[in-house]
Amino acid sequence: MNFAKFFELAKAKGIEESQLSFSKSNALSISLFRHEIENFSVNDSQSVIAAGVINGKFGSCRTEKLDKDTFPFLIDNILLAARLNEKEEVADIFPGSEKYHKKNVYNPKLAAVSANEKLALIQDIEKAIYAADKRVCDVEVGYSERESESGFYNSFGLKLKQKSNYFYIMAEVVMREGEATKTNYDMFLDSDLEAFDKDAFVKRVVEGAAKKFGADSIASKKYPTVIDRDVMADLIDYFLSSAIADEVQRHSSMLEGKLEQKIASSKLTIEEKPLTKNVFFSYFDGEGVATQNKVIVKNGVLKQYFYNRETAKKDNVESTGNGSWGGGKIGTSYGNIFVKPGKVSFDELIADIEDGVYITEVMGLGTGMNSTSGDFSCQAEGFRIVNGKVAEPLTLITLSGNLLKMLKDLKGFDSNAKMTLGSISIANARIKSMNIGGK
Amino acid sequence: MISKALALEVLNAALATGGDYAEIYVEETTPESFMLENGKVESVGSPQGYGCGLRILNGLRSVYGYTSDLSKKSLLALAEKLSASYEGERKITVEKIGNGRYKKHSFVQTHLRDVPAEEKIDYLREISKIISGVDPRIVRVQTGLTCTVKNIDLFVAEGPEATHFHNVEERSRLFMVAIAAGAEGFETCFNGPGTTAGWEFFTKTLDYKKLAKETGEKAIMMLTAKECPSGRYTVVIKNGWGGVLFHEACGHPLEASSTSKGLSVFSDSIGKPIASPCVSAWDDGTIENEWGTSDIDSEGVPTQKNELIRDGVCVGFMVDRFSARRMNGIKANGTSRRQSYRYCPTSRMSNTYIAAGKDDPEDIIKDTPLGIYVANFGGGSVNPTTGEFNFSASEAYIIRDGKICEPVKGCTLIGTGQEVLMQIDRVGNDLALGQGNCGAASGSVPVNVGQPTIRLKEITVGGRGGKLE
Repeated sequence: MNFAKFFELAKAKGIEESQLSFSKSNALSISLFRHEIENFSVNDSQSVIAAGVINGKFGSCRTEKLDKDTFPFLIDNILLAARLNEKEEVADIFPGSEKYHKKNVYNPKLAAVSANEKLALIQDIEKAIYAADKRVCDVEVGYSERESESGFYNSFGLKLKQKSNYFYIMAEVVMREGEATKTNYDMFLDSDLEAFDKDAFVKRVVEGAAKKFGADSIASKKYPTVIDRDVMADLIDYFLSSAIADEVQRHSSMLEGKLEQKIASSKLTIEEKPLTKNVFFSYFDGEGVATQNKVIVKNGVLKQYFYNRETAKKDNVESTGNGSWGGGKIGTSYGNIFVKPGKVSFDELIADIEDGVYITEVMGLGTGMNSTSGDFSCQAEGFRIVNGKVAEPLTLITLSGNLLKMLKDLKGFDSNAKMTLGSISIANARIKSMNIGGK
Repeated sequence: MISKALALEVLNAALATGGDYAEIYVEETTPESFMLENGKVESVGSPQGYGCGLRILNGLRSVYGYTSDLSKKSLLALAEKLSASYEGERKITVEKIGNGRYKKHSFVQTHLRDVPAEEKIDYLREISKIISGVDPRIVRVQTGLTCTVKNIDLFVAEGPEATHFHNVEERSRLFMVAIAAGAEGFETCFNGPGTTAGWEFFTKTLDYKKLAKETGEKAIMMLTAKECPSGRYTVVIKNGWGGVLFHEACGHPLEASSTSKGLSVFSDSIGKPIASPCVSAWDDGTIENEWGTSDIDSEGVPTQKNELIRDGVCVGFMVDRFSARRMNGIKANGTSRRQSYRYCPTSRMSNTYIAAGKDDPEDIIKDTPLGIYVANFGGGSVNPTTGEFNFSASEAYIIRDGKICEPVKGCTLIGTGQEVLMQIDRVGNDLALGQGNCGAASGSVPVNVGQPTIRLKEITVGGRGGKLE
């Protein structure tokens, strides 16, 4: 589409400043169930989000319908939204950052591999999972890939473009032993198929399920607790969402007034590095602001909130390049989070725990977490730790506590950092003690 | 959106390699939303959705694709790409497209889009004012109103004559959130009534003033609530939204997407007792003007009232066309749903509830010497293969000597669907429904959960307050 035409039309309708972002993506996904292709899907989609400012009021609109009526539709709705907008702050459109750090993260090799080869890969994985353990009764293996292109344009002449792609492989295994059924799930994400180690993946997902047999509950009390990196990533995500300036300014963040204060153990250092060259790379945000790497927590001290342009203006600081679109307005998001790992191995991390708990999975954190107070309670699974070694599996236990208290009680991480699908790189964590509910 | 002639061409392209079923789902959505923060308009949205999903089945195989480009070239390219994954000979040639019939279950008197924006905003402002007025400790109030109108054209081909369905769905929902702050931290209370009726629901049917006041009061009350005890206790669950427990723990495992593949704890349960004899349950997509109601499902099958459990015995599942292929002799029953054209449809719940029993809810409490009363849930999740679930209560109280006493926070119920169904020992006569959005394989779909007041003899309660005394 000729986007220059949009800016002309907008100006003619009295929209002094405007911007437009365009995104286009195509995706492939294949999944197998009991040796058959259960799902095969291909898709492409496109959308445009446009925004403008009239008399200092902001309005925006999004559409997936791209035809001759698109621009008039967007403009009419921008005008309506701006007319009804009651925000007191004077809005404007961002002209552009001085410097952008563009990198090429698109891997053309991924698209060159045929769908049939990708199918063969997951058929191999399925076969290997069935062969790995006699108790495996069902396997679901899937391959998904996505290629996306985005562009950002504004009435000041800014033009930004980015293209990226990634794939992920997921497997869910169901095992039966007598009456007991156990499931386990794992996934792998990258943009380079060569980075995938099939044998290690199969081993991890199968052993993960096998280890759960014979699980029981445990007496309710406080235990020294080790939290698996995947679970820890979810918990850190809640912590980070409290560092969004908007939440702080609306008095609904547990981190309000805590800048430059020690809010966690000195073992906690968190950075946001959007300019890291990986599948989560992005060099401009939803408002066209250049992104930047930054420290959020350093040795337990809170150093930085996440800002978009509007929240930055309220605090009289610069946007940190964390603006993003959501629900018809500019919100705030983050990505490529790196939590500094420790230096010890997992065995060393748990070596001095006589009677503890290793949490490997939590369920229901979404509803069990009060994200304003940090209090949480959720169902969990894992293992006992006895005399420094991982012992019998645990099921139907609950993990509860307060997020900030937990981070203050953080004794350290091991060295096994992993990047999650939620773009948080984190290792396994040891917490002094946590409430475990059971029998 | 697309002509019958083009649909015919696309269906035939889709069936060229041996597919035995093809379905085109074209959708244009025009939602509008108004969000207010502390009584001021924060955003007005009108995001337009537009696209087409194409599905081709061949025996137990399914391929699905979608595009937001509805040109002939794009649709035929999609049909060709998808059909290329089958390698057979054509079995079906579609010769004509007839019109599908169905009964309407939702009736809108005043469309939300016909109400001036200012009037809807004033309504939200009034609600916001009531909530803020409850107590100065309410530091933040969010109110919102969304209305989504979906224009759907569905073409289904299983033989030489395909069927075309045109359907318009209008669904609206009100949101109110109160956030209270005290020395103890923050507490949030949310309410979100929804409907497939029109503006008349919000202004006439719903007692929005009472709901707003309660939203504020509950947030304040929870500020001083003590931590919930943990252990195994008798739990009474209030009617209405309390049914989310049944939805998660028992409803999902009764969806044919799990049962047909033997992935559910209830896979082989038809005719067998799965619940205590006082439990009967239904999934009913036809309840007039309810939030989870539709006229037809995503495969063109009319919605119906499906019995799931009769006096404790499992009698039915929610079945979509594809899952039905794995289930000998069982037919699709109007429960195939999807969030949008971006999702391949599968069996889902609509308005799902435990039927009313005989007990007076007050007697159920009176007959409970010590336990927990859960008045509202935040939500929860379940693993359909193992049946394990967890639910967190957003409003709960201790029951002492048959009376509802002090409120407690951080209460989580955990267990398995099989266990909880057997643990129900009392069922009240006060059936009510509650609105939510349910996320699963085919996206987020609007659902009603529901139940009368019920009692669970004993279930694991997680909390940080030690033992209940």
